[in-house]
Parts: sequence; structure tokens; C-alpha cells
Amino acid sequence: MDVRYERASKSFGSTQALAPLDLTVPDGKFLAMLGPSGCGKTTALRLLAGLEQPTSGRIYIGDRDVTRLEPRHRDVAMVFQSYALYPHKSVAENIAYPLRLRRSAAAERDERVRRVAELLGIGGLLGRMPRELSGGQRQRVALARAIVRRPHAFLMDEPLSNLDAQLRLQMRVEIKRLQRELGVTTLYVTHDQIEAMTMADLIAVMRDGALQQLATPAELYERPANLFVARFCGSPPMNVLDGAVEDGSFRHPTGSIPLPGAEIRGPVKLGFRPEHAEVTDHGAPDSLAGEIYVVEPLGNETLVTVRLEDELLNIRAHAGFDRPVGERCAVRPAEGRVHLFDKDSGEALAKPGERGASSAGHAATAGI
Amino acid sequence: MGTSSVAVPARGRRGSELWARLLASPWLLLAPAAIALAAVAAYPLIYGVRASFHAYRYGRDVGSAGLENYRAIFEDHTFWTALGTTAKYVALAVSIETLLGLGLALLVASQLRFSRFIRVSLVLPMTVAPVVVGVIWRLMYASDIGVVNPLFSALGLGKPNVLANPGSAFLGVVAVDVWEWTPLLFLIILAGLQSLPQEPIEAARVDGAGPVRVFFDHTLPLLRPVLMVAVVLRLIDAVGTFDQIFVLTKGGPGTATQLISTYSYNTAFQFTQYGRGMAMVVSLLVLVLLLTIVAIKLMRNAAARTSS
Ligand SMILES: Nc1ncnc2c1ncn2[C@@H]1O[C@H](COP(=O)(O)OP(=O)(O)OP(=O)(O)O)[C@@H](O)[C@H]1O
Ligand SMILES: [Mg+2]
Repeated sequence: MDVRYERASKSFGSTQALAPLDLTVPDGKFLAMLGPSGCGKTTALRLLAGLEQPTSGRIYIGDRDVTRLEPRHRDVAMVFQSYALYPHKSVAENIAYPLRLRRSAAAERDERVRRVAELLGIGGLLGRMPRELSGGQRQRVALARAIVRRPHAFLMDEPLSNLDAQLRLQMRVEIKRLQRELGVTTLYVTHDQIEAMTMADLIAVMRDGALQQLATPAELYERPANLFVARFCGSPPMNVLDGAVEDGSFRHPTGSIPLPGAEIRGPVKLGFRPEHAEVTDHGAPDSLAGEIYVVEPLGNETLVTVRLEDELLNIRAHAGFDRPVGERCAVRPAEGRVHLFDKDSGEALAKPGERGASSAGHAATAGI
Repeated sequence: MGTSSVAVPARGRRGSELWARLLASPWLLLAPAAIALAAVAAYPLIYGVRASFHAYRYGRDVGSAGLENYRAIFEDHTFWTALGTTAKYVALAVSIETLLGLGLALLVASQLRFSRFIRVSLVLPMTVAPVVVGVIWRLMYASDIGVVNPLFSALGLGKPNVLANPGSAFLGVVAVDVWEWTPLLFLIILAGLQSLPQEPIEAARVDGAGPVRVFFDHTLPLLRPVLMVAVVLRLIDAVGTFDQIFVLTKGGPGTATQLISTYSYNTAFQFTQYGRGMAMVVSLLVLVLLLTIVAIKLMRNAAARTSS
């Protein structure tokens, strides 16, 4: 079933945790809510679960207005950020509890608990009490308790935050596969952009309680709606330079970059991703002059930091990159891969060579 | 040069360190309390235990009596009746107080609007000295000037003369205990309720549990350690109830409200059998001690099972 926020907002006293939010998760889709700490992600989930009443606006699950409905009548399953296991129940009892409340037959219940536990690699822990588990194990029990049933929607609040890198990768795959298989609408909160990019059909980027952009992962990467989104998605983050557009070129004290087809002029911010630029020889045309500042070989590639006067740029280079630190060099962004942002508001301007104003933020659901 | 300039402050520091360590050591800090405790608690206790092994005639110690006092109370029918009455009194009073306290605490915890008013009005009985409580209720129960009789007859229930009949006298003294001590349980349980972790309860609500399931599946088990502490405290305290009973009924009519406390008081001070009175008190003490040990064991287990 689809899930819909209609201008739903939440304030705690004078602090606004969530600005009026309009957001729809289409039926069966996986939406990742991405944003820094304190941006209102948990609040949004709690509103949907019914643990918090919106200060204004309405919430729908399917066609049903659930705004005033008790949590138990909404039929959603939630993984809490703090796990919220039942401390006085064993792992098996924890996982079985939602099924027990639904009066499912004991044999079927045990079987499902066992299967889910196996899937998450906690089959050997069923007899333990929560306090006898590590953080990562508790987190997987919390996840198991949610996916053991078939609700209208899964709400997951950073369900992998406490796992080691390898386990996280493995769980990421399992959750994604399970979600596709069951086709249950899922809201997945994370502040890890890689998790969001790899798992989600749609990503909602939040900041200070306000939705910044709703888009597919590809769209988000290609057409960030503003500087915040641009820098939040991608690692290392997008390079951003202050300068001005004149005569179809971006002018910076260290050089100029041609922007074929650019229609605007005046001061702007120019952004390009580390993977969309190359380090070349000093004095090369259409490049920005600087010097090699740090070189970090990662095995499959090399991360190069270049200093331009007083700014540092991150560039992804090939594995065999061998310019010495301190050497004078130049950075040349790939043609057609630069983004322009309004100098003051940070809103995206039309991509050079493309027609129309900033449409990135609103064409979001078109691809779905 | 370098060494001397370091050594001098070092010596000074060592002295002050010693002083600091002495000040911070538990023994010095505990000493005053330990001495006071020994004076007010340990001495009378030892004196009482000693007295229980001595014979008294006309109130005077006439030497050791061995286990004679204990044999006497063991064969004393009234002692066993008093023990039974004490058990009944404690069990009835404490269960009513716990249930009432729990119910009120749940009400106040969920209905935060009147909580302050309820809390204040409920704490008042606890601030009244037990003897005064006894006097107040004796007046209320009194057949001539009391309010209980008119109240009952207004409801068409006749005049109960509460303290005059064995059955109603027992319920009457239990009611006074309930009136005085329910607030204590209410307060402890309310504090416990308000410090319960909210997340498991929220998780249960999302998982599909209604208020009743949440209470029995989560609130009550999570509250159990607090509940146990409150009940054990009250149990131990209730076993020694004396003041109100003494003021209200002196153990009567007959032996209807005769507790070990009042019976041992009568034995020791009315019949000047100090040794036998003390033997009763000591027996009760041992019984309470055993009960407490069992209770604490149970509590530990419960706490270990619920703590996360
Ligand atoms: N019960 C509350 N009372 C007051 N303020 C609250 C409450 N819950 C959340 N807030 C505030 O609302 C804002 C959003 O909080 P929220 O928990 O939704 O953030 P989040 O995006 O989940 O952050 P994180 O990634 O750290 O979990 C924060 O500024 C927080 O301080
Ligand atoms: Mg959160």
C-alpha cells in the first residue's frame, strides 16, 4: 500500500522537528530518507507509526486517513533506532511477539521465527536474553521482529548503523532482496548516502526538518536540486568553487572553464564530482591551476587532493597516478559534468547546455 | 638543583595526599554513622536477644532461663493465634495497598492533568504519626460521636460499631493501615512507572498490542523489580505494626486484632514477662529475616532477568 504525508508537520514546543512534509511512497517501493543528524527523520517515521501526533497535516496509508489512529490499527512494522527490544523476553519471544498478538498458530509461528533468524544470522541466539547480546546482534533481532510479519509498510530507522562493514554489506543485500520479494512499501531512514543510493528506489533528502529533494538515486546524483544535496550525496563530496560566468565561461582566479550553451551570467557556484575531473599538466587549456597536495592510493584508484590557491579539491584518479606532492598541476572538469548553483540560495541552475530552469527537484517521481 | 626543587613540593604533596586519602577512605566517613547505628540499633537488639534467654520475676531479671521462654511461647496457644492474625493482617493490608497503589499510580501516570493534586493529597496520610492516625480513626469509628456509623446507616447498612465486633474490628484496623500506607506504595510505584523505558512499550504498540496487552506483557514485568522492593519494604514494616492497633483496639475484642507486636507488649509490660515477650519479638525477627532473604533472592533474579 502506498504511504502519504500531506503537509504533515511536527513541533516540540518551539522547535520544529519537521516542516510541513509532502511525500508519497508508491506502493511496494523502497524509499530512503537521507539526512544529517537531527533533520527530522525519526520524527517522520514516528508520525507514520502513530507514536507521535502531527502538529498539522494528515497521514494516509493506502486510502485510509490514519492521522488519529492508534499505532496498533495502522499495521506497520518498525525497527527502532534504539532497537527497543523487550528486555524481559528472549530473542525468540521478541521476534515472535507480533505474530503472537495476531494469534498465528504456534507451529507456523516457530517456523517463521526460525526462518527470519536464519536469514539475519541470529539463529543461534534464539534462546538468549537481549542483555546478553552485542549491539549488532540486538539490531538484527529488532530487524527480525519487523520483517517476521507482512505489514502494510516497513519503517526502518537506521537498522544497520551498528553493524560492521562486512555484515552491513551483507544485510543491505538481504533487506533489499527481501523487500523486492515481499513488495512491502518501505521507509528506510539512514544518514549513510551509500546505503541510500544502493538500496532505494527513491531517496528523500532532508535537512533541518525540510525535504530538499525527492528523486531516484540516479537523478539525485545527476541533478542535485541544491548545493546541500549535491554535497551530501557522493563521497568524497562534490567540489564547489566560487566564481562568475562571463562570455560562456566560468571564471576563477586560477583559470577558466568553458560552459558551452550557458545562458546565465554573473556570480555563481560551480560544482563537479571528484570522478568527473582529471589532473593534467600545469598550463593545460580550460583548466584550473594548482598543485598536488595529498595523494591517497586506495588500490583500485587514487584519491588526489589538489590545492588551488586556498581551496582544496578532491579528484579521483586511476590507480597508477604518480605525480609527486607539491608538483604544479591543473584540474580539468569533464565537459558537461559540471553543475551550477545560485551563489546565494544554493539552488541548482539549469545545467549548462540544457534548456529550462531548475527542474531537478520536481521531476523526481517521473522515472518511477 | 632540579631534584631539590622537585623533592620539596613532592613531600608536601605526599602529606596532603595521605590526608586526602584518609578523608576519602570509607571508614572515616562511615564511622559516625556506624557508631550511631551501634548505639541505637545494635545495642537494644543485643539486649533484647539476651533478655529472651533470661527469666524475670515481678519485672526483675532472675538469671538465665535457657530456652525456657521459647518453649513457653511455643506451647502458648495465644501466641500462635497472634502469629496467624499478624500473617492475615499483613497479607490483607499489603495486598490491598499494592493493588490500590498500582491502580492509582497507573491513573496518575496516564492522566497527567491532575497528577500534582492527587500526589499531594495522597501524601498527606504518610505525614501523620501512626499514633495520631490511630486516634483519628478511633474517633471516626466511635459508636457515639464517630462518622462511620452515621455514614453506614445513611446507606441503609445499619450501625456497624466497627471496633466492637471481632470480624469488623479486624477489617477496621486493616482499613486504617490501608489508609495510611497506600500512598507510600503509590509513590514508589509511580516513580517506577515514570522511569520505565518507553521504547519497548512503543514497540509493543506498533507491533499491535492494545493497552491491556501492553500492561500485562510489558509494563508489569518491567515494573516487577520496583514492585517487589515496595512490597517487601511494606511487608517488613507491616509485620511490626503496633501504634494504631494499640490505640484502636489494644488487640481486642477478644484476640481478633491481637498481633505479635501487641501480644508481646502485653506479655512484657502487663504481665511483666519480659523474657517471654522478648522471645516472641526475637522469633518474629528471625521469621522476618528469613522472609526478607527469600524476597531479596527473588528480587535479584527478577532484576537480573529484566535488566538489559
Ligand atoms: N521528544 C522530543 N522533544 C523535543 N525535541 C525533539 C523530540 N524529538 C525530537 N526532537 C527534536 O527534533 C529534531 C529532529 O529529531 P529526530 O529525532 O527526528 O532527528 P533524526 O533525523 O532522527 O536524527 P538522528 O539521525 O540523529 O537520529 C531534533 O532537533 C530533535 O532535537
Ligand atoms: Mg533518528
